[in-house]
Amino acid sequence: MRLSPASWARAVVEDPWGRTGAASSFAALVAAGGVAFALGGTLGDYGLNLGATLFAYVVLAEAWNILAGLSGQVSLGVGAFVGVGAYAMGLLMVHDGLGWLPGLVVATAAGGALALALAVPLLRLRGDYFAVGTLAASLALQAWLLNWSFAGGSSGISIPIAAVPSLLALYEIGVVVAVIGVGTAIVVRGSRFGLRLLAVREHEEAAASLSVDTRRQRLYALVVSSLLMGLAGGTFALLQVSFEPNGMLGLNWTISALLMVVVGGTGTILGPIAGAIFVYYVVATELANYPTASFFLEGGLLVLIVRFAPRGVVPLVFDGVRAAARRRHAARG
Amino acid sequence: MSATDLVNGVLIGGLYVLVALGLSLVFGVLRLINLAHGALVVGAAYLALWLSNEAGLQAFAALPLVVVAAAVFGYALQRVLLTDLLLKAPEVGIVGTFGLAVIAEAAFAAGFTSNAQGLSSSLGSSGVTIAGVTMRSSLLLAFALAVVLSLGLHLVIRRTRPGTALRAAAANPATAALMGINVNQIFALTLALAAALAAVAGVLDGVSASFVPTSDQALLLTGIAVVVVGGVGNVLGTLVAGLGLGLVQAIGVGLFGGGYSNLVIYVVFFVTLAVRPSGLLAGRSL
Repeated sequence: MRLSPASWARAVVEDPWGRTGAASSFAALVAAGGVAFALGGTLGDYGLNLGATLFAYVVLAEAWNILAGLSGQVSLGVGAFVGVGAYAMGLLMVHDGLGWLPGLVVATAAGGALALALAVPLLRLRGDYFAVGTLAASLALQAWLLNWSFAGGSSGISIPIAAVPSLLALYEIGVVVAVIGVGTAIVVRGSRFGLRLLAVREHEEAAASLSVDTRRQRLYALVVSSLLMGLAGGTFALLQVSFEPNGMLGLNWTISALLMVVVGGTGTILGPIAGAIFVYYVVATELANYPTASFFLEGGLLVLIVRFAPRGVVPLVFDGVRAAARRRHAARG
Repeated sequence: MSATDLVNGVLIGGLYVLVALGLSLVFGVLRLINLAHGALVVGAAYLALWLSNEAGLQAFAALPLVVVAAAVFGYALQRVLLTDLLLKAPEVGIVGTFGLAVIAEAAFAAGFTSNAQGLSSSLGSSGVTIAGVTMRSSLLLAFALAVVLSLGLHLVIRRTRPGTALRAAAANPATAALMGINVNQIFALTLALAAALAAVAGVLDGVSASFVPTSDQALLLTGIAVVVVGGVGNVLGTLVAGLGLGLVQAIGVGLFGGGYSNLVIYVVFFVTLAVRPSGLLAGRSL
C-alpha cells in the first residue's frame, strides 16, 4: 500500500473518485438514495429489516474507511464508538423519554465526544500502537460497562418499545443515515482535507515538511469517523432494541468494518459499499445459521485479500474494465 | 486484601510474562504486533486438551509435544504467509494476523464448542503454604518458568552467536543479510520460538483457569500491555512488567471487586501509552 510519490500522484489523478468526481458522485448518491427510499414501500418486513441493517453497516464501513483508508490510522476499537453512541441514546431514551430523532443526534455527538476524550492519548500513537491503543480503549470501556449497574451491567438495556419507530420508518432512517455517511465520505475524499489525509497516510514527515498540520488532520479524521460510528451505533440500537456490552461494544464491529472495507477497496468510496453488501448479505444472512462457517469465511477472506489483493476488489474491477477498454481501443487502431 | 491475594497476584503475573515473552520477541525482531498470538496461546491449551481426551495425557506430560507442535506451526506460518505480508506494509501484518485470530476462534469453537474448558492436572488445585501464605502450585510453576525462561532468553539473545544474528536481523535486516545472515530463516525461527513460548503459556493458563474460544482476546491484550509497559524487545523489562501488572491487578481486585480485574490492566496499559509513548519506542533495545 506504500507508493512512491510519483505513482501516488498518478493514482490521485487517475482515481475516478477524486476531486473532479465529487459533483457527479453526489448526483449518483442522491439518485441512489431516492431509489432506495422509494423501494421501501414495496418491501416486506424481512426486506425492510435487511435493508435497514445493511445501510447501518454502510455507514460503519465508510466511517472506518475515512479513518483507516484515508488517514492510515487502523482502528481496532470500532466497538467503543458504536457502543457509546448506542448507550448514550439508549440511556436517554430509557430514563428521560427522549425520542429517536434527538436520540440519533445524541448518539452521533457521543461518538464524537469519545473521540475528543481519547484523542490526547490516541493521537500520540502511530501505526501498530494506534491500532492497539484503540483496542485497549474499547475493551476498557466494555469492561467498565459490564460493571456499571445504572446501564444494566452485563444484561444491558432495552429501549422502550413505544419509542421505537415502525420497520418502514427504520428503513427510511437507514437510507437517510447511509446517504449522510457516504456523502460525508465523498466530501472528505474530494476536499483539500482528504488530500492532506492521503499525504499524512503516505508519508507523515513529508506531509509535515509541506506545512500540513498532521496532528490536526489526524484529529479531524478521528472525530469525523467517530461521529459516523456513533450514528451507526444509534441506528443499530434502534434495530436491536435491547442490547448488552458484549455485543454492542464487542470486537464484531471491528471485524465487520475492517472486512467490508478491505474486501471492497481501502480508501475508495464505492469499495466499502460493495464490501458491506457482499459481506453482510453473504456472511450475515446466507450463513446466519452457520456462525462458525461465517467466522471462518470472514477470517479467511481477510487473510486472502491482504495476501493477494491488498487494494481490494473494487479497484481490481476498475483496473480490469480500464484495461479491457484500452485493448478494444488498440484493436480498433 | 490479604498477603495471600498479593502473592498470588504476583504469581499470576508469571502467566502474563509467559504470554508476553513471545509477543515481545516478535514485535522486537519482526516489527509485527502479532494479533494472533493470543490464539496461539489458546490453541496450545486446546491441543493439550485434545491430547488429554484422545491419549489420556496429563497436561504437563503433553507440554513437550504441544511446544514442539507450536514451534513447527510458527515456523511454517512465518515462511508461508507472514514474511510476504510484512514485505507489503506494516498495517497489512496487523490486518492479516487479525484475520488469523478470527479463523482460529472459529476453529476452536467448531472443534471444542464454546463451553468453558479446563486442563486437568494434579497441580491445578493443590497448593503450597509458606509462612501462612497459600500459593497455588500451578501459579508457582508459572512464576518459576517465567523467571527461568526470561533470564534464559535474555542470555541467549545477549551472549550467543544465534542471539547476535537475531539482534543484527532486528536492527537492520538488509545489512544483516549482507553480512551473510539468513534473515528469512532468523525471522521464521523467531516466530517458532514465540509460538513455543506461547504454548508454555497456554498449557499453564489452561491448568490455572478455564478457557473459551474467545479467551485469546483478553490474553492478547494483557500480553500487549506487559510488552508496552516493559519496553518492546526488552526481555527483563517484560519480566518486571508482567509480575508488576499481576500485583497491580490483585490490588485493584481487592479495592473494587473481581469484576474489575481486566479493567485494571486495560487502564494501566492505556495510561502508560498516553503518558510515555516516546519511552515505549525508546525501549527498543533488543
